[in-house]
Amino acid sequence: MNWFIKRTGQAIFTLWAVATLSFGLIRLMPGGAADIMASRLQQQAQGSNIPREQLREMVASQLNVDPDAPIHEAYYQYMSALVQGDFGNSIRYGGQEVNAIIADTLPWTLFLMSLSTLGMFAIALSLGAIMAYKEGSTFDLANTGVGILLSSIPYYVAAVVFIAFLGYRTPLFPVRGRYPSGVDPGFTVEFIGGAFHHAMLPALSFIVTGYGLLALTMRGNSIQVLGEDYVRVARLRGLPDRRIALRYVGRNAVLPLYTSLLISIGFMFGGSIILEILFQYRGIGFEMNEGIIYRDMPLMMGTFLVITFGVVIALWIGDATYGKLDPRIKSGDDSEAY
Amino acid sequence: MSMHESTTDRDLYQTADPIVEIRDAEVVFEMDRGVSRVLESADLDIERNEILGIVGESGSGKSMLASAMLDAVVEPGILSGQITYHPDERESVDVLELDDRELKKLRWEDISMVFQGAMSSFNPTMNVGGHFTETLDAHNYDVEAGMNRARELLSDLYLEPERVLEAYPHELSGGMKQRALIALSVVLEPDVLVMDEPTAALDLLMQRSILSLLEKLKEKYDLTLVFITHDLPLVAELADRMAVMYAFQLVEIGPTEEILEHAAHPYTRALLNATPNLDAPLSEMRPIDGSAPDPVDVPAGCSYHPRCPLADDTCVATDPDYHGVSESHGVACHHWAHAAEEIPFNVDAAEATTGGNQR
Ligand code: SF4
Repeated sequence: MNWFIKRTGQAIFTLWAVATLSFGLIRLMPGGAADIMASRLQQQAQGSNIPREQLREMVASQLNVDPDAPIHEAYYQYMSALVQGDFGNSIRYGGQEVNAIIADTLPWTLFLMSLSTLGMFAIALSLGAIMAYKEGSTFDLANTGVGILLSSIPYYVAAVVFIAFLGYRTPLFPVRGRYPSGVDPGFTVEFIGGAFHHAMLPALSFIVTGYGLLALTMRGNSIQVLGEDYVRVARLRGLPDRRIALRYVGRNAVLPLYTSLLISIGFMFGGSIILEILFQYRGIGFEMNEGIIYRDMPLMMGTFLVITFGVVIALWIGDATYGKLDPRIKSGDDSEAY
Repeated sequence: MSMHESTTDRDLYQTADPIVEIRDAEVVFEMDRGVSRVLESADLDIERNEILGIVGESGSGKSMLASAMLDAVVEPGILSGQITYHPDERESVDVLELDDRELKKLRWEDISMVFQGAMSSFNPTMNVGGHFTETLDAHNYDVEAGMNRARELLSDLYLEPERVLEAYPHELSGGMKQRALIALSVVLEPDVLVMDEPTAALDLLMQRSILSLLEKLKEKYDLTLVFITHDLPLVAELADRMAVMYAFQLVEIGPTEEILEHAAHPYTRALLNATPNLDAPLSEMRPIDGSAPDPVDVPAGCSYHPRCPLADDTCVATDPDYHGVSESHGVACHHWAHAAEEIPFNVDAAEATTGGNQR
């Protein structure tokens, strides 16, 4: 319990630190964000001079940072806006609320990530287990080689290759967008099928370059567990093979991979930026890039904070639940999930 | 001796009412550098309701002999020979001829085993109780009645049943795990319990207390115990009969007292001499000169001859047969009759033997 409180405290601290840091960036950046925003608003006004007071208010409402307020007051305003989930308004999208943009794009990123993670783990775990059972066979050796080879390819290179070959040369999959144009979002076969179809190449880029190491880890774990005394004793006790495979070998070999799962979530959140740009996939990473290109500070900060938030929450959940899966960690101050 | 060698030969390892008969059991491993014979033509009877101690150095083949009784030799070892199980009220069973389903039944229901390494015999991600229920379940036993039996067994072993059943393996101490494992191995009410170094990882005090618990358990549940160890003093206190293994062969078999007082094999005598006192911890034991042979390259003739002070040309040339020292005491040595004078027990050992018997 102590440990749980400590972990939660750490998570909250991380979130607070990131938020504060982003406040500092906006406020203190030389030629700061506020100035950029002000000059940009000035430009948009096209010549007609906006009074300084009005300009200040506009900047304040959009950035959640009032450039003229004393720092502690500005910080308070900014933080309380964040706590209420108000990230300000986007410049890139003509003053649209950043919240709305995030609400529109985050689910797509999560969808893509879940698809990649599930696919990757399903393939890696079953493959690794089969390789372990057939240790030393041609199947095992070939897969080990292929796994290592594919793992050495960066996911964005794989993405480009997929776009070239599966997107253009043999157009099996669409290479851009989230769902087919002309299909209305809803619970229809066209929409859901289309969404999966569009997510296929980005997800494959992660899966193909990521499953290898995971499968090898699973293989190693399984081989180790297969050699454990408790597996031998379980066989002698006459337990059904199925139970031994799942409850004994499977569970004990998979548990250490839980950490990999958490790490891969963090990795994918980061990787989603590049991948979403490559596939013109309007997820949160894509919008973050838009924010950067258009110097759209609220959009950039909003997406950045949400991504950070996502990673921190994922790690926190992982940490809090690991003890449920592995009884040895239950009370553990001594050992952690990573 | 030699005139009725074949007859005495038979009698020596036979007992009146055997529950398990092992005949000519062999285990071989095919290895890159040759065939490794880790159990060589073992003949042994296990008498109903006795405690049999099998003693040998590590790597002498004693674990193989244990696994052989359940046809549980690990891959890629190949077991041959004949192993017959004589249940109380059923037909005798040829263990090596059983199909998978019958073998599954034999193991744990009739002949059960506690392995070396109790510390890792439980699944770390399952509580101890789970091991009991799944075992009962897999053998189609009534789980509720079985769990009541398990609770009784645990309290017979001085454990708190509820606490232990709910605990995960890592929450138990070594001695508790060992006792829980013993309870698990007899929960299906087997006739024979084979234990391979069951106390190796425990401290001296825990070893003693487990031994006395085992004796009680044996009486209460009518068990036949086979106790395999490298620790001669330990087994001397417990066993009715002893079998000594050297270099993958059984070299001497006999009642414990007789072996302690009149050991006829030079190796057994050396082993006894290496034990300063039966109560001494293992670390104080003096090693026997020379080293145990390599299973791929066992010396010709008597495999003990490189280390044996009595060895002569006969020993190098021919493998000794069994000779009867007394009706129930057999030894595989050409010069057994001279062993006692050539290798006298040192003072400590003499004290130790009498000390051991007076207990
Ligand atoms: S047969 Fe010879 S070498 Fe072997 S134990 Fe007896 S005396 Fe020693």
